[in-house]
Amino acid sequence: MNTRKATAPRVKPAPVARGASRSAKPRLNMRAWREHHAYSFFSSLARIGARPWATALTVLVMGLALALPLLLFLLLQNVQGLSAGWQEAREITVFLKPEIEATAATQFAESLRVRSDVAIVKIRTPDEGLAEFRSQSGFSDALKVLQANPLPTVLVVTARENPRENINATPALVEQLKSDAKVDLVQYDAAWRQRLGAILALGERVVQVLAGLLALGTLLVVGNTVRLDIQSRAAEIGTLQLLGASKGFVRRPFLYIGLWYGLLSGFVALLLVLAVQLALGDALAHLLSSYDNRFAFSALGWIPASLVLVVSAALGWFGAWLVASRHLAQGQPA
Amino acid sequence: MIRFDQVTKRYDSGYEALHDLSFEIEAGEMVFVTGHSGAGKSTLLKLLALIERPTRGSVALAGQNLNQTRRRGIPRVRRGIGMVFQDHRLLMDRSVFENVAMPLLIAGLPREETAKRVRAALDKVGLLEREKAAPITLSGGEQQRVGIARAIVAKPPLLIADEPTGNLDPKLSTEIMELFAEFQQVGATVLVATHDLHLIRRMGKRVLVLDHGRLIDDFRPPVVGA
Repeated sequence: MNTRKATAPRVKPAPVARGASRSAKPRLNMRAWREHHAYSFFSSLARIGARPWATALTVLVMGLALALPLLLFLLLQNVQGLSAGWQEAREITVFLKPEIEATAATQFAESLRVRSDVAIVKIRTPDEGLAEFRSQSGFSDALKVLQANPLPTVLVVTARENPRENINATPALVEQLKSDAKVDLVQYDAAWRQRLGAILALGERVVQVLAGLLALGTLLVVGNTVRLDIQSRAAEIGTLQLLGASKGFVRRPFLYIGLWYGLLSGFVALLLVLAVQLALGDALAHLLSSYDNRFAFSALGWIPASLVLVVSAALGWFGAWLVASRHLAQGQPA
Repeated sequence: MIRFDQVTKRYDSGYEALHDLSFEIEAGEMVFVTGHSGAGKSTLLKLLALIERPTRGSVALAGQNLNQTRRRGIPRVRRGIGMVFQDHRLLMDRSVFENVAMPLLIAGLPREETAKRVRAALDKVGLLEREKAAPITLSGGEQQRVGIARAIVAKPPLLIADEPTGNLDPKLSTEIMELFAEFQQVGATVLVATHDLHLIRRMGKRVLVLDHGRLIDDFRPPVVGA
């Protein structure tokens, strides 16, 4: 059917018609495809550039929608970093009975140090404890009233990392310390750690769900914008169809528009995240310095950032594709 | 080139625009279709451009039965037809050059060749110096000439025009018709729907007369005033 059509102008000697039939040959399709994409690329840029305010509004809405899960992700990432730091510490605080003397405490510490499952043992004498308490608690005036130092000697025991052991399980060391006659109280917050882990897992899920919902929202924003654009260009689309434009040719500029919206909103989202990082930077640095800078704030890296752009561009393209395919299928030239 | 075989077109509203219409147009002919308003002139052209489908009968173009053309094949058929509309249907947000270049862009021609052909077409309609203008700044006659340049730029074997001189004064109308006649002289088939009997008589080409969707006359008037 097609070959007959293509050769027809040559059979009927219309010399002027040769060029038109030549362009339909498949060997030119690749170049035609490139020309079409170049056209769509520039004409779509011109279209969104012609309405800077409408474009900016759309892009800002989409950018905000993308920035929200991104910020939550960043928050979660940092809290996870902190909690990992805490879990690595694996510190066991051992309060000795008040009647244990300093030499006995030192002996007990030595006996612990030789154990294979103990990494470090730090002794905090009652005097050190009192000094620390004075400087940090703000009770220094109240403490002056005390006649004697009520604080016991405290051993801070760091358990040695045992890879075969479940990180959330209570080490056997804790139980043995608890049963020792010299020990008054052992503090090891396993339950608290487990709870934090559960909260973080929940947070991760919340970020995932939220990201999914907001991605859907972004898709709808792009779709609606492109739908309005298609409606306002109904006459033009009809004309193009009468000139012999294929469905793909008519649809392509709209897909590019979706792509630009997505890409620009990705940039907006990254800028917003950067702005939030800058705004919170000082306060965060202050907070972290109180942890002796054991933890560093981890910003959004290059790879996640470029991934955001790829995903947002894909969302824009897909949203435009959904709407354009549907509306142009219905469209009949007037 | 064109063959209508017992074509009937009834619209969904029940209105019968064409009734049992049969005629044939040879390649390289220039033919006018005339008749009162509502006689079916536009419907006839719409069947050729596959904007409408016949209810009964068949339309063949360049040996191809258009009834067999599927939806996907419609753009290819239309690329072989240059269309001129009464309301020009120019893309108002683009320049004259871009409007004329559109069929070549759709065909995927390289940019340099496109530019060459667009300038040739604009030169033919006498608007070469207006290629950067916006269509809205042109007069009605100039806009129609841009429309014609767009219709001929891809050098289609068939040119169809629906009331191309509907809004123009007699002098401009004659100029437009001369352009169509020139295009016929280089080998294209030209089909023009118009109710301007005066103009038709002067051109001395074959005329199909429609009345209430029926072909009532098919004649070639003697050239007058030539």
